[in-house]
Amino acid sequence: MGPLLYLVRKEWLLLRRDWHALGLLFLMPTAFILIMSLALQGLFAGHSRVTLSYTLLDGDKGPESVELAQSLAAHPEFRFEAAAGSETDLRAGVRAGKAQFLVLLPAGFGRSLGRGKGLEPVRLVAAPSVDPTLMKLFDATLREDAARVYVKVAMRALDRALGSSGSVGPNMDAMDSLVAAPEYEGSAPDSIPTSVQQNVPAWLIFAMFFIAIPLSNTWVQERAQGTYARLLSLGVPRWKLLLGKLLPYMSVNLVQAVLMLAVGLWLVPLLGGDALTLGDAPAALAVMVLAVSFAAVSYALLVANLARSTEQATLLTGVANLFFAVLGGIMVPRFVMPPALRALGGLSPMAWSLEGFLEVFLRHGGLAQVAPSALLLAGFGCLSLGVAAALFRRQQRG
Amino acid sequence: MGRRPTLSPLVAGAGSVLSWASLPGARRPLIHVENLRFSYPSASAPALDGLSLEVPTGSLYGLLGPNGSGKTTFLSLLSGILKPPSGAIQVDGMDLSLHLADVQARSALVPQELAFYPSLSVRENLEFFAGVGGLSGAEAASRVDEALRLAALLPNAGQRAERCSGGLKRRLNIAIGLLRRPRLLLLDEPTVGIDPQSRHFILQSVREIHAAGRTVVYTSHYMDEVQDLCDTVGVMDRGRLIAQGRMETLLAQGRGQSEGPVRNLEELFLRLTQTTLRD
Repeated sequence: MGPLLYLVRKEWLLLRRDWHALGLLFLMPTAFILIMSLALQGLFAGHSRVTLSYTLLDGDKGPESVELAQSLAAHPEFRFEAAAGSETDLRAGVRAGKAQFLVLLPAGFGRSLGRGKGLEPVRLVAAPSVDPTLMKLFDATLREDAARVYVKVAMRALDRALGSSGSVGPNMDAMDSLVAAPEYEGSAPDSIPTSVQQNVPAWLIFAMFFIAIPLSNTWVQERAQGTYARLLSLGVPRWKLLLGKLLPYMSVNLVQAVLMLAVGLWLVPLLGGDALTLGDAPAALAVMVLAVSFAAVSYALLVANLARSTEQATLLTGVANLFFAVLGGIMVPRFVMPPALRALGGLSPMAWSLEGFLEVFLRHGGLAQVAPSALLLAGFGCLSLGVAAALFRRQQRG
Repeated sequence: MGRRPTLSPLVAGAGSVLSWASLPGARRPLIHVENLRFSYPSASAPALDGLSLEVPTGSLYGLLGPNGSGKTTFLSLLSGILKPPSGAIQVDGMDLSLHLADVQARSALVPQELAFYPSLSVRENLEFFAGVGGLSGAEAASRVDEALRLAALLPNAGQRAERCSGGLKRRLNIAIGLLRRPRLLLLDEPTVGIDPQSRHFILQSVREIHAAGRTVVYTSHYMDEVQDLCDTVGVMDRGRLIAQGRMETLLAQGRGQSEGPVRNLEELFLRLTQTTLRD
């Protein structure tokens, strides 16, 4: 085992015994992810692709009610939550948050459409927490789908009355072409994350950069305690001392990444939030994790070599990380920032990190798509490491 | 301020190098330093200002000096932690700037700070420093046991360093320095802040280390300790060597001073370096 492996092993031993650092690096981001993902779920839903959950009670079970149920299920924004029971049971379920809406199709719905009068209305029930705008959206969609079913039934009745075979009346397919598909000016809906898609990478990045606190503290302590002097006098080169910090702390970052992604994938949905979607490019995700980690640990080494005391190191990393986080869209998503602040935030390495992760999670980007973010982070990491090495080396000269 | 006494012929002025080899019965110098200069970037005065000295092979050399006289800087330069902008250092005939790795393999620095990891156990610390020092396998294990025995740390091997007493910590600090069986041991104030028992043990250990044929450079502010322990002494002030010689020779010269005889090393030291506060 060479000196480098001893340095890495020592670092792991020290970290394993530092419960404060472990709490800071693992528990803090887990708590942030859970709290923020769940707390901001509704807020993010207003900005992102809406996924509205609903359940449906078909009291008619005729072809018309089935058709209406099918057309509702065909909307990608709606998610059907299967539920069994009476109307009272389903209303209780909506109240308890199992679904946002309950659609009640009354018995005789199909027959009443055929009669054209004395209609049995479809009823829509919303959970108390549903935003009125979302209520309007669901209601409008339901009304449109019900109207289509009604028009179809009416046209069939007209055909029968006229003895024609579907040649009379409007072309139903043409109705879809009356209004072109809407388009976005600028930010497309896919680029706006859900709460969990925003918060898992955001707090993971924050935690990865927070490694600067324990790293810089141990570095300053080792320098003050004379252990570096002793190691240098044993002939351990400075680059090995730097690498002896870089490698173990990067491995801590990897553990953080696995843990936080697992929280987003399994723990958040277990507590009622959306599940994190990882995209379909594991290589791009791995590259992003490595790039963020390299940038974060190199930056930590830079701070460690700038600071003269542990107090200075803690203050410097704490304040700088908060600035990086606020500007980089960790605490407040950048898509809600005014343009000037958004542009300023673009200077934060946490913004590059978040952009890269969202590219993978949200837009299903691959290596080519994350390359700009990864390269920026690698450049930042190289620059930080270079300056840190120069500062460390400078301590050797008179 | 009184006039600084002259202790010829073993007193070095700036830039002049004393040659022990030229003195009757003297041994070949293990360390030969010539006109060494070093300044810290933010300091107003140089830490070393033309230091020249020689440490005889096999000696127990007491390096004395007030705070800020340059002792620790000199040891840092000698062990390759700092690089001198000018001057020359030879250890065992090797130019330090050309043979740093060879010199480092033959020497060990025991810093005045407790230079180990508090949350590692005594044994883990020794294993770590043995490993980074290039020892491995059975050899590393046997050296760790040897260092534990020499420093009387075997009963505390599994104890975390942070939970050890001040004396145990000092002994661990020295034990780490012994792992590679260095020919040259640089001890920078190894008895600071410990009880008389631990101090006695450390001084006895240093004697044994020296008796085993190693050259020891020993810095301390405890003059009685140095007088009792060392056979040779050098006094530094303001980055220069102001006196150097065998202990008994210097003391004998001090006794014959015209300003009045000095009774011990401390009086001689104060007469050489004056009583003005330095920090």
